[in-house]
Amino acid sequence: MSHRWGMAVDLDRCTGCEACVTACRAENNVPTVGPEQAARGRAINWIRVERYYEGEFPDVRVKFRPVLCQHCDAAPCEPVCPTYASHHTEEGLNAQVYNRCIGTRYCANACPYNVRFFDFANPVWDKPLHLQLNPDVSVREVGVMEKCTFCVQRINEGKTRAKAEGREVKDGEIKPACAQACPTTAIVFGDLNDPESEVSRLSRSPRGSKLLEDLGTKPKITYLR
Amino acid sequence: MNLEKKNKINDDLLRPVLHTSPWFYVILLVLGGIIVAGLGSWMYQMSHGLVVAGIKWPVYWAFYITNFVFWIGISHAGTLISAILRLVNATWRRPVTRCAEVITVFALMIGAMFPIIHLGRPWLAFYLMPYPSERGIWPNFRSPLVWDFFAISTYLTGSTLFLFLPTIPDFALMRDRTTGLRQRIYGMLSLGWQGTTKQWHRLESAMQIMAIAIVPVAVSVHTIVSFDFSMSPVPMWHSTVFGPYFVAGAIFSGIAALIVAMAILRKALHLEEYLHPVHFHNLGKLLLTMSLLWGYFTFVERLTVWYGNAPAEMAVFWETQTGSYAPLFWTMVFCNFVIPLPLLGIRRLRTITGTVIASSLIVVGMWLERFLIIVPSLAMKNLPYSWGFYRPQPVEIMITIATFAAMAFLYLLFSKFVPIISIWELKVGAHPRPVLTPQEEEEAQELWRVRP
Amino acid sequence: MKAVYALYADPDSAQLAVDSLRREGVAERSITVISSEPFEEYEFSRRDKPTWIFWLATAGGAVGLILAYLLASTTQRLWPLVTGGMPIVAMWPNLIIMFELTMLGAIIMTVITLLITARLPTTRSKLYDPEVSSGKILVGVENAPDDSIEKLKQTLRATGGEVNAG
Repeated sequence: MSHRWGMAVDLDRCTGCEACVTACRAENNVPTVGPEQAARGRAINWIRVERYYEGEFPDVRVKFRPVLCQHCDAAPCEPVCPTYASHHTEEGLNAQVYNRCIGTRYCANACPYNVRFFDFANPVWDKPLHLQLNPDVSVREVGVMEKCTFCVQRINEGKTRAKAEGREVKDGEIKPACAQACPTTAIVFGDLNDPESEVSRLSRSPRGSKLLEDLGTKPKITYLR
Repeated sequence: MNLEKKNKINDDLLRPVLHTSPWFYVILLVLGGIIVAGLGSWMYQMSHGLVVAGIKWPVYWAFYITNFVFWIGISHAGTLISAILRLVNATWRRPVTRCAEVITVFALMIGAMFPIIHLGRPWLAFYLMPYPSERGIWPNFRSPLVWDFFAISTYLTGSTLFLFLPTIPDFALMRDRTTGLRQRIYGMLSLGWQGTTKQWHRLESAMQIMAIAIVPVAVSVHTIVSFDFSMSPVPMWHSTVFGPYFVAGAIFSGIAALIVAMAILRKALHLEEYLHPVHFHNLGKLLLTMSLLWGYFTFVERLTVWYGNAPAEMAVFWETQTGSYAPLFWTMVFCNFVIPLPLLGIRRLRTITGTVIASSLIVVGMWLERFLIIVPSLAMKNLPYSWGFYRPQPVEIMITIATFAAMAFLYLLFSKFVPIISIWELKVGAHPRPVLTPQEEEEAQELWRVRP
Repeated sequence: MKAVYALYADPDSAQLAVDSLRREGVAERSITVISSEPFEEYEFSRRDKPTWIFWLATAGGAVGLILAYLLASTTQRLWPLVTGGMPIVAMWPNLIIMFELTMLGAIIMTVITLLITARLPTTRSKLYDPEVSSGKILVGVENAPDDSIEKLKQTLRATGGEVNAG
């Protein structure tokens, strides 16, 4: 059965703890740029928790929204890449091919969610931090774009294991790092082609909406209010 | 025109080529120094990565793309003056054509450098070329950047040939007036040109077709550059007016650059007898038209945004009108519209000095316009959490200055090796208009025959 | 076979010279007029066949159009990657590539036609006199048969030219 990977994020459950941000960094070898460069806007966060404050003290309400690559079906970042580094896979993922990227940064400009990040410098992991790098994920060099891949290495691993065991992928078996780390299971990942999967069920929820849907990007992540 | 006058024209216009003043070397050295500093900055950027530049999340395009659009815009000078004026038989264009065409070729070359300078991995820029590579993959023809590659290549080829073809007879003249190595080089460049009536006829026909062909190419080039912006869903970029807006802005800045270049040449090479106030007068009128057109497009675009009241676009709109970009915005309006309008509109003020002042301001204003199209929109996209603020770094500033120096440098070198005013075209301009029989008039109307 | 020519100071006398050469029976093709600027208002400049350059340029444009269509659509089908939900062979963006290469084809064909029909670049030494750059007009006969040289020289001298043989 062909897969169509999607995600649902329950904003009611999200506490803004940013465990997802940390887990994503660790899983995907996302470089840290240091405080000086972060102050100059070069920090890379494949997933970030956007924080909006409403109201005046003491009636302040905080809204959290984890924003990551929406893997849009009509992604504006894909047709503008001159080298096909950004393209759509058959399983619905927006893939970023680091080898083809020459760093024009057009995709980042076209992305309305600002979820694409540029490697301004070669990443540095002082010893012994280099030992924590995930061998399943490539380390990006200077000058390429990177972004959330829905932990494609885990997806591939899950599919390979299922095939080796001669069965279909079970719902909930493949979890990206953010979904795995979330303490309130606000992030749910799965196969949208399977109508019984958790993510399909949540996508059909009346609380669900998509981010910046009116721009026509057809994002795949459903946010539940 | 008698032989004496013709020889005087030859002497006057060949003097800058045949005789070199010491100032030439001084200026060349100074400009060369600035260019070397710019190249050094670029090498520094390539070795350290774009971390040394000012771009950041989410403003990923800034000074370099501003410069790219600006220089491609300047390159529209040559086309308008040479091609369109040639097609409408405006005789006052004759001393001005080569000055303009040279601006086009060099501005294009400089502008085309910037997509490489701004790349994250410039050593892989050849990925944009459509050739059967061992990687098996071709460029993405849906991307406006690939359209840029094709458009700029076509325009550069076309403009270089458009510059070269009418220079062939002047190279022949140079060949006859020099000796030794120079004679051999000019002889090669003149391709053995004799000047038979058949050759003249063929040359004029070819120039006619080139003029017809180069105008749509020029329009398409800056339209495609505008597509780099209008094809993405960025607030205040995704506008249908961008195509004509950019083309009008390009012609606007191109004519301004041409006027500045002509004024400098007139003074430096003592061409007062050939570049008359009437040339500046006429170009000034064109510049006035373009200024009004620019003002019209800017007003129409902004009115549409303001009236539409879309939240994402209004955020960018207010930031440029009254927010942190307001000083730059209002400077731009002053430089492009408020001050040039009286300077170019009032006949008594439309002198050489007046047009040069207006043009210099317009060059500055148009650079600011490119910056203000690119940076505020990127700084304030749809999700407010990700808004940012851009500040240029020394690397970017140095490279920008170096490109202006490079333009002057290349122009200076060109005027040393090739007469900057087209000698044979100038002489033709003095011929009286022929009195033709009705049948001859009809024959002369055929598209591929020469028009007197 | 040598070339016989004379230099004239103004186009009117050059026209007279061409007419008198014609009266002498010299073939139209053999009469050469060389100048440092075109004199389109005189008859001696309009003796050539109309040029085919317009049609050739159009043909060049057509070639460019076809090549561009093949380049874009074939390469898009070779490695079909979906981008932005657009079709694999996206006609609207391809039109832009097709336009550019059409114009490039027309321009290059124009230049090639010019070079071929004007016989540029020439390496064989042809009839020329550096005095032409000073504004004089050269009227002459290339490849004149030896026995007629003196006659031609007389004709040219009669119309006021400085005669040379090259």
